[in-house]
Amino acid sequence: MRPFVLNYAQQNAVPDVPVPYDYSSALQLNLLPDGRPAISDRVLLLAVGTTTSTAGSQTHFDD
Amino acid sequence: MTVLILTCHQDVTTDLVVAGLHERGVPLVRLDPADLPHDAGLSAEYVRGDFHCHLSVDGRVVSSEALRSIWVRRPGEPAAHAGEPSRWLTAETGQALHGVLYSTTARWMNHPRQAEQARLKPWQLRFAHQSGFAVPPTVVTTFPRVAEQFAAQYGTVVVKSLSGPPRDGPAIALPTALVEPGTDFGGVAACPTLLQRYVPKRADIRLTSVGGRMFAARKAAAPGQVDGRYGDTGGVWEPVDVPDRIARAVREYTDLAGLAFAAFDFAEDAENVWWFLECNQGGQFGFVELETGQPIAGAVADWLARPAPGAP
Repeated sequence: MRPFVLNYAQQNAVPDVPVPYDYSSALQLNLLPDGRPAISDRVLLLAVGTTTSTAGSQTHFDD
Repeated sequence: MTVLILTCHQDVTTDLVVAGLHERGVPLVRLDPADLPHDAGLSAEYVRGDFHCHLSVDGRVVSSEALRSIWVRRPGEPAAHAGEPSRWLTAETGQALHGVLYSTTARWMNHPRQAEQARLKPWQLRFAHQSGFAVPPTVVTTFPRVAEQFAAQYGTVVVKSLSGPPRDGPAIALPTALVEPGTDFGGVAACPTLLQRYVPKRADIRLTSVGGRMFAARKAAAPGQVDGRYGDTGGVWEPVDVPDRIARAVREYTDLAGLAFAAFDFAEDAENVWWFLECNQGGQFGFVELETGQPIAGAVADWLARPAPGAP
């Protein structure tokens, strides 16, 4: 029998796309390709959705 | 004294706090437990009553005595990045890491014991009510008849998962959803199901509590909207004052729960009542800070930067 709540499942609203930054172990921050910290581009962060309350919900309890 | 942050590499919300700690000149070590034991290491010795341990990651070494605080943000599972990962290796690595960290005097945001309890939705609702929040009538049941009776009593109800979407299988989302009249509740017998009276809302409220400092943001809801996290509602997050009654309840709840950090979700109805929906002990705050400019990451950095108990 299918669990009741799964009748309301949807395709994941946050597709698993590559993020435009990489982690720097030296700075312990993520950097953009031009070397700036990713957090310096707030418009980009909002656009990629990695700080939203649905980001990562597949692997973490807390949003 | 050093701050230890447990999180995954691509967590840019953590970056906001890391930048704040850099500005404050506070040393930090960022560790993803998934990187143990190959890309990070630990060692603990218990000899003649003395306990010494240290962690090593990316060329940085920190001893347990030097930890002022530990922030559990969004860590990977211990040893998940190992060449041959296994549940046993995760268990062994988790035992070692948590055994070491639990033995320190560092302050936690949030301690895993409190976090585990605070994730339990039935527990949240019980203590939210006790703390003074308005809580919508809710049932968690495996009995289809009980679910039917609840829906009949309250008319319009929503269903939400207790633990989030399944973590295996294809990626899916489980937004809070309206249950249509006449729905067959037979599937309730297959899994504990949470049903809640629907709260028609004017807005979503996200309140982030950081060591007693509160940052509330409001986003107007679209007509008939149920779960504001999914779909474009056309609204934007804006700062909003915290009513005194809500502030008192937040303090009561976080004290009862032992939480240094908590993100509360409320539904604001037409009478301006903030209905408690849930409290995420590790909830996201990046999107709120980016949209509203509220200095939440700075508040987290301030809390983490405070000295450990008994430190000079």
